[in-house]
Amino acid sequence: MDSEYAIETQDLTKVYISRWARREVRAIDGVSLQVRRGSIFGLLGPNGAGKTTFVKALLSAVRPTHGTALIFGRDASQPEARRPIGYLPENHRFPTYFTGAGMLDFYAALSGVEASRRRKLIPEQLELVGLSQWAAVRIGKYSKGMLQRLGLAQALMHAPSILILDEPTDGVDPVGRRQIRDILSGCEARGVTVFVNSHLLAEVETFCHEVAILHRGKVALSGKTQDLTAGKGYRLTVAQPPEALAQELRGRATSMSARDGLVDFQFPSRESANGAMDLLRAQQCEIEALAPTTSTLEEVFVRTVQK
Amino acid sequence: MLTLALVSDTFREALARKIFWGLFALSTLMMLFFLFLVQIDIVQGGVATVTRFGGSARTLQAEQVVRGVYGAIATFLYTFGMFLAVFASSGLIPSVLEPGRIELLLSKPLSRTHILLGRYAGNVLVVFLNSTYLVLGVWTILGVKTGIWSPVFLTAIATTTFIFAVLLSVVVLIGVLFESAALATMIAVALMIISPILAQTSLMMRLLSSEWSRTLWRVLYYSLPKVYELGKITLDAIQSRTFAGFTPIWSSALFGAVMLGAALAVFSRRDF
Repeated sequence: MDSEYAIETQDLTKVYISRWARREVRAIDGVSLQVRRGSIFGLLGPNGAGKTTFVKALLSAVRPTHGTALIFGRDASQPEARRPIGYLPENHRFPTYFTGAGMLDFYAALSGVEASRRRKLIPEQLELVGLSQWAAVRIGKYSKGMLQRLGLAQALMHAPSILILDEPTDGVDPVGRRQIRDILSGCEARGVTVFVNSHLLAEVETFCHEVAILHRGKVALSGKTQDLTAGKGYRLTVAQPPEALAQELRGRATSMSARDGLVDFQFPSRESANGAMDLLRAQQCEIEALAPTTSTLEEVFVRTVQK
Repeated sequence: MLTLALVSDTFREALARKIFWGLFALSTLMMLFFLFLVQIDIVQGGVATVTRFGGSARTLQAEQVVRGVYGAIATFLYTFGMFLAVFASSGLIPSVLEPGRIELLLSKPLSRTHILLGRYAGNVLVVFLNSTYLVLGVWTILGVKTGIWSPVFLTAIATTTFIFAVLLSVVVLIGVLFESAALATMIAVALMIISPILAQTSLMMRLLSSEWSRTLWRVLYYSLPKVYELGKITLDAIQSRTFAGFTPIWSSALFGAVMLGAALAVFSRRDF
């Protein structure tokens, strides 16, 4: 547990070989990633990019063809390396014969939590995810959002040092999503590393400090969210510019849009934005706002996977 | 603690799928049947005769009747009961390998061997408890009614559980290879059906003309589990007859160990 990184992979590769056709599929191909302990990390990628295979390799559910995966410096294939992991799978299928409390009890026992501690923790965790009233109800009767919250409680039961969450807000309503984000923020405050595999880019953007985009099994882009979305240009908002001036500015700007008597011009550089302001001031036009703009993570994502 | 959690989970699933209760209900019906049987006139009369006149020859006769009943129960356990147990349990291995469930188990600090053996032990426990219930129940009913207590009948608990454990090893191997409960049941039942045929080895050695066919027969005989002969050993013990030897026990145990070892090897290398 003394590694600087919660997750560290080196040249991680998984090749699936079809049994009959002898066809090879490289699900992940030489993925090297480092996730610092205590950070919130988002793994993005289009369908089939290899995200789930990467997560499964971390959990040793798939055996890498090549490369290494370490959890807090320990080989992920060793059972002990998985002790600090709290995991919420995508498309989980929790046994429906469990009640909510029974399910938490079972998985916490497998994580090595003593029975007396489990008895204390179960009501607390159910309370945390808003399922106290459902403790004794069989989970076959739970909605998808409730199962997702219960799954999160399961992942948190043994106070893990790293949470690996595969589509954690899938099927959860907006209030539930907010609740999950708050819980994860609480985890961050306690120094828990959170690794999120998600296709909800807006959520990842607001929540994750760092992201990596997987594309065709390789890391296409990685870095701090702030850096990846920074430095796109400037937005100049003008109140009712004369038509001729608006047309001239439109020629200089990368885009223009009108709303509620205001017109937004997007300029690619500071110089072009200043030039536009000079023109507007010369014609006594009112400038409502000037602000630097960033790319959305979605734009970064689309640019990356369309390269 | 981890093993207990895995075993109790299998047991809980067997309860939820009504497997345990199904076998339990069947065992109870069997016991009620024998309870009814000892109440009918002919048996009542036989028991009364033995009780009233008491002679050692008559006691011996009554003992033979009781041993006959024990034999019938044991035969039921090794045939119909075993078929039901295999059929009912075969789904418990593929169910744990379902996507969305196995990944979560594998994310826990457990070895794959531990997971599979925990599942296996839970299955065996279900059948052990049911056969204990049936054998002890019938033994008690007949013991109370006739005053004849024959502890050798209790070995049926061990042999039934043993045969099931051997067949379950095949179910586990097929389960981890193909995740098919139906295929696992078919193969386990085929082994049960083929067992009495393979047991006719001495006859077949005389009937088969070529050496290679005799060799093939011997290979099959020694390598496959001897369900029929294991049942016969128990019946011979109950009927106080001598039995041929322990080869069926150790060779079946070896078969079970090899199957289980192969299942563990496949499971530990599989991607999920």
